Amino acid sequence: MAKPAQTPLGRAARLLDLVPFLASHQGIELKVLSKVFKVTESQMVEDLTTLWMCGLPGYTPLELMELSFESGFVTIHNAETLSRPRALNEEEIVALLLGLDVVIASLPIDRDDLRLIGADLVKRLSIRSSIPSKLNAIPATTGSVRATIESSLMEKGVVEILYHSSYSDEVTRRVVTPIELREENGFEYLWGVCHSAHALRSFRLDRIQEASPKPRDIETLSLFTDNQSDGIPYTIATHSRPREVSERFAIDKEDFSSSARVISFSSEWIRRSVLASSGSVEVVEPEVIRTSIAQAARLILDRYESH
Amino acid sequence: MSRKIERLINLTIALLATKRYLTKSEIFRSVDGYEGSEETKERMFERDKEDLRNLGVAIEVGGFDPVFEDEAGYRIKPEKYSLDLGELSGVQIALLSLAAEAWRGAALDTSAHSALTKLRSIGVESDLDALPAIAPRFNTAHKDFQIITDAISKRSPISFSYLSSSLDIQMRTIEPYAISTRDSFWYLAGNDIAKSDLRTFRLDRIHGDIAMNAKGKEYEIPAGFDLFAHLENPESARIATVDIRKGKAHLLRTKALSNIDLGEWDRITIIFLDAQRFIDLVLWHGDDALIVEPADIREKIIAALNEIVAHHG
Repeated sequence: MAKPAQTPLGRAARLLDLVPFLASHQGIELKVLSKVFKVTESQMVEDLTTLWMCGLPGYTPLELMELSFESGFVTIHNAETLSRPRALNEEEIVALLLGLDVVIASLPIDRDDLRLIGADLVKRLSIRSSIPSKLNAIPATTGSVRATIESSLMEKGVVEILYHSSYSDEVTRRVVTPIELREENGFEYLWGVCHSAHALRSFRLDRIQEASPKPRDIETLSLFTDNQSDGIPYTIATHSRPREVSERFAIDKEDFSSSARVISFSSEWIRRSVLASSGSVEVVEPEVIRTSIAQAARLILDRYESH
Repeated sequence: MSRKIERLINLTIALLATKRYLTKSEIFRSVDGYEGSEETKERMFERDKEDLRNLGVAIEVGGFDPVFEDEAGYRIKPEKYSLDLGELSGVQIALLSLAAEAWRGAALDTSAHSALTKLRSIGVESDLDALPAIAPRFNTAHKDFQIITDAISKRSPISFSYLSSSLDIQMRTIEPYAISTRDSFWYLAGNDIAKSDLRTFRLDRIHGDIAMNAKGKEYEIPAGFDLFAHLENPESARIATVDIRKGKAHLLRTKALSNIDLGEWDRITIIFLDAQRFIDLVLWHGDDALIVEPADIREKIIAALNEIVAHHG
């Protein structure tokens, strides 16, 4: 995360934003204020002390801003000139436009009222931006799924999820104690203890179709036996479409050559992935996987003949 | 350092409060902090003006007075200085707050946070209770994300190394038009200068740094350009009929336009844009999904399967 700017310019920007914030939050605690602006309390005191010396030309007590913060609570007066927040800059507008798009897409179907309000805000922001193109953001995850999981993470609660496993192509209901949300290779995963499997599992967030909070009555979690297997090593040869192959099998470009050693955790996944590579990938060894892939392909061919 | 900051703030206040343009000599006389020789003051003022512009504060020059040897005057128009999105209700503030929150920990986090602080300073209480519980999030995208958004707003070309479909790294220079995200991937579209054609790039396929070519020629972005509309040119969309086994092929099922019950199977129709990607997707489902139509796709699938058998037989 970017640290708040400590350059003179960054500080000046913060002071300009501090005045309207204080004017609309009179009596705010110094501690809270420091958090809002992501600085230490001593930095905030330094900022306030600097502001204290500023005002309209003349710089008599009549023209200077009036600040009080010795008590630990901050108030500001005589700061009308700066009391309105500064205009949004281009990057802030871009952040809000993309953010609004993803919020609108996450709204439940029956909230057309909010979609209209959101669209109106997009319009208002767009005319203030110098970017004429549309900024689209379509979320991978259902917004409400995420909210449910986040709140159960905060409350250390339990959730029931409806999960689509793409390996087994099955949708199952599972009860999970969430541990954390993690991002890997651009996808978000929920890590948690799966009560059904009695083990630590990860679930891709965009494959969770529904999530609902569960009461914490299943407290007696027989602490998961860590029976994660070590994975299945195999070698693949690439016949075409190398970029797709390297992405699908998560092989670094640096390690990629016409044949590569890969480890996966499920033979089901290997079989499906090789089929879905439409002939651009060959499993060189082990023999048992080669055979199962050949069998699977023949079976589908048979089906096509009779279908 | 504090003196410099004080001076910048005082200058902003003075230029905002004035109803007419202030001349340089008026500024030096009245605004606190301008000291030293005439030349020093001039230099200070030039730097301060530049700094305020970099902060996004628009200083207007004008008010030439014929009586006084055409000395330029300066002011900041309050309507340009302050945030103005029209009247905002608590619900609108809440929606904008959620929009900013979506960036937590991701590329535009800092800007989203400062935008949020400005919105909170309007003094309208955010009515979060009026919204359903949703919490969308962006993923981190490329480390140079800001360079892209900056380049788009400045109309400045950018260069980067891109992983080609044959896995070579190619240097690309484009005039960026738009950036958008869908299903966890970020996309960038722009005019590829060498190919002089519109191209789309996936951000996770950009290797290393993105460089802004400040000296590049300024260009136009087509108004209303929509990256996804371009990607999904509806003219190239086709419809397939697929038989899927009951209780299986959930991914295809969610994309179905129509569904006929055939007993053990369901016959669905589905829209696809990229034939190869569609074939890959159908093959992922093994013998739980079989293409009925179109014939050319069916033939391609059979050819791919024969190839797989040949490789592994």
